[in-house]
Amino acid sequence: MGGALVFWVGVLICGLCAGALFTFKGMSDPTLWRTCTILTLSCCYLMWAITYLAQLHPVIVPKRDDLRIDL
Amino acid sequence: MSSRGWGLLRGRQKTASIFRSEVMSLVQLYIPSDVARYAVSQLGEIGLVQFRDLNSEVSAFQRSFVSDVRRFDEIERKLRYLHGQLERSGVDVYEFLDDGFVGSSRGPRDIDDMEERISAHDDRVQRLTAAYKNLQLKRLELLENKYVLEEVSSLFSEMSGRQATGGPRGGRASVATGATGGLDAAPLLARVDTSSRRSIGSLDAVRGHDAEIDIEVGDVGRDINVGFIAGVIPRERIATLERVLWRSLRGNMFLNYVDIEDPISDPKQEEPVYKSAFIVFAHGASLRDRATKIAESLGATLYQVDSSAERRQEDLIDTMSRLDDLQQILENNAAARVNELTGVSEQINTWFAVVRKEKAIYHTLNLFNYDANRNCLIAEGWCATNDIPAIQSALHLATEDAGSNVPTVLQELRTTKEPPTFIRTNKFTDGFQNIVDAYGVPKAGEVNPGLFTCITFPFLFALMFGDLGHGALMTLGAALLCVYEQRLAWLAKSESLRMFYSGRYIVLLMGLFSMFTGLLYNDLFSRAMPLFRSGWAWPADRGGEGVTVEATRLGGVYPIGIDPAWHHASNSLLFTNSYKMKMSIVLGVVHMTLGICLQVPNALHFRKRINIIHVFVPQVIFLFSIFGYLVFAILFKWSTDWYARDAAGELTHISPPSLLNMLIYMFLSPGHVSESERMFRGQAALQTVLLLLALACVPWMLLVKPLILRREHQKIVSEGYGRISSHVRASSDGEGLGAAVIVAEQEEMEEDDFDFADLMINQSIHTIEFCLNSISNTASYLRLWALSLAHAQLSEVLWTMTFMPTLKMSGSLQPAAIVCGFAVWFVLTVGILIGMEGLSAFLHALRLHWVEFNNKFYDGTGVKFEPFSFRAVLDEAEEQQ
Repeated sequence: MGGALVFWVGVLICGLCAGALFTFKGMSDPTLWRTCTILTLSCCYLMWAITYLAQLHPVIVPKRDDLRIDL
Repeated sequence: MSSRGWGLLRGRQKTASIFRSEVMSLVQLYIPSDVARYAVSQLGEIGLVQFRDLNSEVSAFQRSFVSDVRRFDEIERKLRYLHGQLERSGVDVYEFLDDGFVGSSRGPRDIDDMEERISAHDDRVQRLTAAYKNLQLKRLELLENKYVLEEVSSLFSEMSGRQATGGPRGGRASVATGATGGLDAAPLLARVDTSSRRSIGSLDAVRGHDAEIDIEVGDVGRDINVGFIAGVIPRERIATLERVLWRSLRGNMFLNYVDIEDPISDPKQEEPVYKSAFIVFAHGASLRDRATKIAESLGATLYQVDSSAERRQEDLIDTMSRLDDLQQILENNAAARVNELTGVSEQINTWFAVVRKEKAIYHTLNLFNYDANRNCLIAEGWCATNDIPAIQSALHLATEDAGSNVPTVLQELRTTKEPPTFIRTNKFTDGFQNIVDAYGVPKAGEVNPGLFTCITFPFLFALMFGDLGHGALMTLGAALLCVYEQRLAWLAKSESLRMFYSGRYIVLLMGLFSMFTGLLYNDLFSRAMPLFRSGWAWPADRGGEGVTVEATRLGGVYPIGIDPAWHHASNSLLFTNSYKMKMSIVLGVVHMTLGICLQVPNALHFRKRINIIHVFVPQVIFLFSIFGYLVFAILFKWSTDWYARDAAGELTHISPPSLLNMLIYMFLSPGHVSESERMFRGQAALQTVLLLLALACVPWMLLVKPLILRREHQKIVSEGYGRISSHVRASSDGEGLGAAVIVAEQEEMEEDDFDFADLMINQSIHTIEFCLNSISNTASYLRLWALSLAHAQLSEVLWTMTFMPTLKMSGSLQPAAIVCGFAVWFVLTVGILIGMEGLSAFLHALRLHWVEFNNKFYDGTGVKFEPFSFRAVLDEAEEQQ
């Protein structure tokens, strides 16, 4: 785990995008579906990666002041 | 990239895609006159050709088929009249369409038949309606007469009743001879106060005169020349009538009236009217004439009433019986009308459709040129090159329909005219294309942002609307619309719901992406979802009200989304703000980069290599050396452990750097990075290089392209070539068709006079705009953070204010409170969070696409392709109805 995960998932997503270039052959508008697939994959990957990276090396620590002590 | 891929980028693809508009052809049709109507009808059914007006210099009234258009206008008017009558008499219209008649090509004889039938129906309905109106008027007259007779006799009998009792104190109807007025002007006075009756007389006169002459009421007229008029007047006018009569006859009158209880329906007016019957006694014929005139001018209807009671009774009986007869006739008439209209109602929709189609056909034929020599019509129009076979087969069908053996000739023309933009959308892409078209229709061949909008639009929306629960509700609603789209097609006709119906796939994708972003934000109706093991642990032994406790790091990173430990943390906003701001910048830069890169296929398509080398490249360098570096710094900061210790246990970094300061000091003090803010070695040098690169790009963008264009122009001029003369006429009469052939006008070549100053001004505006915009647009993407923050906070507040308190309640009322609390929370969630917040997120996503994305590459100066199609004609007509 760690930063490498982002890289490997990125590689996987790139592979999927490349795969999408060769699918949808039979559809009426392959360009549309290919673009949609690639864009969806990249958007979701980007957002996931950003969220993951943001928590990779936290600069601040969560604090609470409403915790009850379990006795 | 394979050659096929390059072809696609350059826009030479044969398969239809919404990446670019369709390749269009200007075609010319030679249609034999006797086939013309059938041909246009078939072309209207397939709806693939947009005809050009070849008679633009001819006014609308001078065109060849004006008389036909008028004829169908007239038939349509009749149909509208019949339709109005159907609605008035409450006969249901059959939704049924006679497909055989509407769809296939009808012969002129069918049309004649139809016209005849419609005219016959129209005639009969008009006659019946006129008769009905007459009868109604007569009935009104009789009815009013009846009321007058009834009420007048009640007035008379009331007065004579009082006469009989003779009480001086009660209401009395008496006549006083006024000393001042003389005999002829003897004022009539009376004072009858009952609830619904009032009369007016000269009260002053009463006080002054004790002499009272009681008269036999029935003999009023004869005794002292006091006659009366009686009639009916709308109730609200009675006061006016009273006042006007009183003033103009100087009080020498006596008016009494009774409200008729039932409203009277007047065929001249929409609503039934409340009326009053009145009677005016006045002295002398001239005064009565005046009273008559005044009453009539106020809208009263006067009726002859006899003064003798028996005669009145006779009249009344007579009127009643005539009313009965009339009622019978009216009923018969109404039945006949309904009968007639029912016959119409079965066919009227079919007729409407046919008439509108026929009218559209002749309107279109009016656009064509008539060649008298060869007895054929010449049409010109745009169509997609891919559709030409379909058009040809339609034309073939038309020839068969007409039973002719002269084929219609279709010929492609070569032209440099700008074709209309035809983007073949399906029901999924249609909504997104509408979003783009609202900004501007793509030029022919230009890259269509609609293709990318399909995903980026819902994604950017979802960044601002991230909540799994809200997204799920939205998805559910949109999915229902999509699954039952056939059954819910009527929604498209409703003014307010059409937006949601036509945008159902947009909403569906927005909902789906919102579910994804909600999952990553770890928000389910503002609640956290502990799906995985948290990376933080709260100490169990410390805490209490007001004691700040820090979580301890467990080591792992929460794999998908934000760690739920942040959810109730007091410093959660610090974390989410920093995270969402940085995410907005990163995604914004990526989005804008995509926009800039789309200049490349545009430049390839329009063969402007100069736009790639001297516009696209410096723009990319400029953006990347400033904001690309910022994105890099963001990622670098995230992936560095700022509290790592080396082997000796010393901190390897001084402190995490502030990226905002870094960017500011990159400009303010280039070549210098303070030790505490340093991220990596060589940072200062890199920043200096990047800054110089960005600065170098400005003159590159500003000057190089205009200078190159000027050099090329000068080269052409120095070699002695002038501008290609305008109006090159490429006549297409290769088959010897003679002079009547429409010549495809080669429009003036696009190369206008070369004006260097103009070019420079344009280029400097572009450059300044790009440089400033790259800063302001990046900042503009921060709206993603702001709206997402607002959404999360609002849904948190809603939860804690409405639903949460009921969960914490105790006592027997809690179940009821929970139900109420849930209801309030749910209604507000749907109304405010999904409805209003959704709308605002939609608008902001729209802006990010229209401004931040589109202005990087998109002109949007095209003209939309609007083919001649019956469906459009009928839809438009239905909307107007």
